[in-house]
Amino acid sequence: MKQFILTVLIVILSLPLIYAQKLKGSDTVLPLSQKEAERYMKANPSASVTITGGGSGVGIAALMEGTTDIAQSSRKIKFDEKQKIQESGNTVKEVIIAYDALAVIVHPSNKVKNLTREQLDGIFTGKITNWKEVGGEDLKIIPYSRETSSGTYEFFKESVLKNKNYKSGIMSMPATGAIVQSVSQTKGAIGYIGLAYLNKEVKAIGVSYDKGKSYALPSIATAKDGTYPIVRPLFYYYIAKSEKKVKPFLDYVLSATGQKTVTEIGFIAL
Amino acid sequence: MNKKTSQQIAFIIFRILGIFVVGILFWILGFIIYNGIGVISWKFLTEPPSEGMTGGGIFPAIVGTLCLIAGSSIVAFPLGILSAIYTSEYAGNGYIIKFIRIMTNNLGGIPSIIFGLFGMSLFVNTLGFGDSILAGSLTLGLLCLPLVIRTTEEALKAIPDSFRTGSLALGASKLQTVNRIILPMAFPNIITGLILSIGRISGETAPILFTVAAYFLPKLPTSIFDQVMALPYHLYVIAVSGTDLEASRPIAYGTALVLIVIVLIMNLMASFLRRKLKKY
Amino acid sequence: MKRILERIVELLLTISGAITTIVILLIVVFLFREGLGLFQSSNVEKGYCLCVNTENTVLQLTPFQIKQIFDEEIDNWEKLGGPDEEIVVFRFSDSFLDSYSEEELGKNLEFLPEKLGEVIRGTPGIIAYLPVQYQPINQRGVRILQDGKIKLSDFLGGSEWIPTATPSPQFGVLPLILGTLWVSLFAILIALPLGLGVAIYLSELAGEQMRKILKPAIELLAGIPSVVYGFFGLVIIVPLIQKGFHLPVGETAFAGSIILAIMALPTIITVAEDAMQTTPQAMREASLALGANHWQTIYKVIIPYSISGISAAVVLGIGRAIGETMAVLMVTGNAAVIPHSLFEPVRTIPATIAAELGEAPSGGPHYQALFMLGCILFLITLVVSISAEIISKNKSQAKGI
Repeated sequence: MKQFILTVLIVILSLPLIYAQKLKGSDTVLPLSQKEAERYMKANPSASVTITGGGSGVGIAALMEGTTDIAQSSRKIKFDEKQKIQESGNTVKEVIIAYDALAVIVHPSNKVKNLTREQLDGIFTGKITNWKEVGGEDLKIIPYSRETSSGTYEFFKESVLKNKNYKSGIMSMPATGAIVQSVSQTKGAIGYIGLAYLNKEVKAIGVSYDKGKSYALPSIATAKDGTYPIVRPLFYYYIAKSEKKVKPFLDYVLSATGQKTVTEIGFIAL
Repeated sequence: MNKKTSQQIAFIIFRILGIFVVGILFWILGFIIYNGIGVISWKFLTEPPSEGMTGGGIFPAIVGTLCLIAGSSIVAFPLGILSAIYTSEYAGNGYIIKFIRIMTNNLGGIPSIIFGLFGMSLFVNTLGFGDSILAGSLTLGLLCLPLVIRTTEEALKAIPDSFRTGSLALGASKLQTVNRIILPMAFPNIITGLILSIGRISGETAPILFTVAAYFLPKLPTSIFDQVMALPYHLYVIAVSGTDLEASRPIAYGTALVLIVIVLIMNLMASFLRRKLKKY
Repeated sequence: MKRILERIVELLLTISGAITTIVILLIVVFLFREGLGLFQSSNVEKGYCLCVNTENTVLQLTPFQIKQIFDEEIDNWEKLGGPDEEIVVFRFSDSFLDSYSEEELGKNLEFLPEKLGEVIRGTPGIIAYLPVQYQPINQRGVRILQDGKIKLSDFLGGSEWIPTATPSPQFGVLPLILGTLWVSLFAILIALPLGLGVAIYLSELAGEQMRKILKPAIELLAGIPSVVYGFFGLVIIVPLIQKGFHLPVGETAFAGSIILAIMALPTIITVAEDAMQTTPQAMREASLALGANHWQTIYKVIIPYSISGISAAVVLGIGRAIGETMAVLMVTGNAAVIPHSLFEPVRTIPATIAAELGEAPSGGPHYQALFMLGCILFLITLVVSISAEIISKNKSQAKGI
């Protein structure tokens, strides 16, 4: 037993940790980072990449505290977050790795096809509560949201609700996958998810930002040509000092192979 | 209604209730086993996840959980056993002992999420361990401390006093008595308790959320300052997140099955030992 | 030498004896140290401030009022005791900079405060949400609103939990506390008759054979990890409830209560059965000898005798249910509303901590609020543990008589 422990200890101490890097943050970017890391490590067997979720806020906070090398974020770094990092004598670097469109989804049986931004605003702030108010059947609307400080939550709030707060007591799901699951099971449900999460079990809705003049369905094509309005960039943030450490992985993600993975996952390549 | 029929009705109800509870257990177990057994394969147990968590296996999570079990055992077992020896052999019967016992009970009643908060605040932030096996093991270790103490105490108390007085009468010191007589005799029962606490550690999720668990980390840990994946956390994340929940369902069933099998083995081992080694 | 060794060992043992006490103390210290910081935090997001035009007579706003203003629910200052002036909400963002040339703003944005001041001066009904370092200090026509501290009464009495609302996060824990108690209460109402029935069956009726199956089965039930219960609830119970009751959503308090009831069963059964087992044989025999049958003996003698043990079982079961995290997080829908029915989503304290702590930047008010929630949870479970202790102590005194 003692010998065993000793051998374990020796093994532990003799392994260097040069190639280890950590990514932390947005759950939206999580599947992308995961797949990128998977392939990157296959190509570079000596590398080691750790990926943790938690939300964009926590990723950036971890970057400030130095507990992660790259913060993955689905929103732009906030003014005060940037300021805080600068105060500690570091500069933060930003890389856009892909674009994402937020799809508004409903149950497949829902007859409503299109909604304007104002209608979505009303639904998520609680002013519109029945589908018949927006041209559907007489059914209670059940809006699903993400947990409070995920980047998706903030971006939707900013873009669609114009910074107003969601109605109090909105259903908040711990992860995007759970929203898809619940909307697919719930007749009156409506939710918002990253394009990558869109599948056959839920129906995406056409969105208009010009008061109903034109509606666009979310897809890679409409997001790319700018007709679909709810589009956001996905970021990697890192501290300038640690550039050397994260560069190989970043280069891989931005390379043609890395961007192919982006498309595969359902995001929009640069 | 006469008293005979009321008795009959009552007893039938109780019998049904008893069977009902066993039914619930078998429903849960059966459901997980039925859906999970097809997923289990050598590949599933020995490969890291792939295809965005919808393929591959759970090897890193199994290793991670084993690391946490080992780590928290190192924390909890010596401390717990020593503490139990103190309370049952040394402390006598005064106010101090009563106080300690109340505290142990209270610690056992504290929800696991509080240990998560505490672990994050003390080990991860204040002591600067970061998200690591070390922080996770310490948190889990403290969590199962009351269980270790309680089971060890029971094991020690089960030994008749005559052995203690006999040993002391022969001129052995207290330490010798404890070391050479009491501990060896109580050993099997102590082990049983330890096995049970391992079962508890392997399934806890809330305390490791913020102290060690990683979403995706296919490389095995190389030091105690590394993060690891862990089975219960892995089950949680693939049950609620991921781009394609339907596609990752089989993996979730498989993970749940592996987790349950570990707990089951621990429980069976414990009850087997208890029956086999019961002497007094 | 041997003496010294004995002494050392004894010292070591004494220290380990105190370990649980030390751990509890540490938990208290760290929980409250982080949590109490909340009441030192400003109720406007850190690094920002709110400014109004000097013509505005409103001096201070509560967090809830700020939220209502920025949600456009209050649109006139008159409603807040100010002049009859429509409220104009202004949020500083990078796009504000685009309307000025670099020359106008200065190289390091040193003229930005002035520009902001101009905007505020020109709009009597404005409320502007600005980064602190660009606040227009000492400028004519601009008043910076005093920001208050987060108050304990707002924290405990507030009915809105929106911890990331800007400019003013809403930390009302009432829905969370009530949600926790609500789910646990119904869990116990489900688990108590079941558990008590099984305990009676086990203690009084079951044959040796049946006990051999039931006892380990119940132990196993206690051993199944909570995340597995949560998973089971998510894929089986939630859809079942949704279809069975024709509900819009399956993630409800009821789903949580059922899962918690199953999880609390082993505790209730074991403790209640232990209590019944301690009924002296003489009392049973006396009852039977007086002509009572077995059932009458059970509910007239055994249950009254072991009532304190049964109560302890209930209390411990509640304790288990209140603190349960993962299973509840996965099945209750997590909507922070004060619960009105069983068939609506609720959000419990542990689920809130588990879902949000990872996302709250450490040291911020949100993080502190979650630790404060931890403190509340800790106090609740402490009360539960101590009452269980007192109840079972009463039992042992009663037995002494």
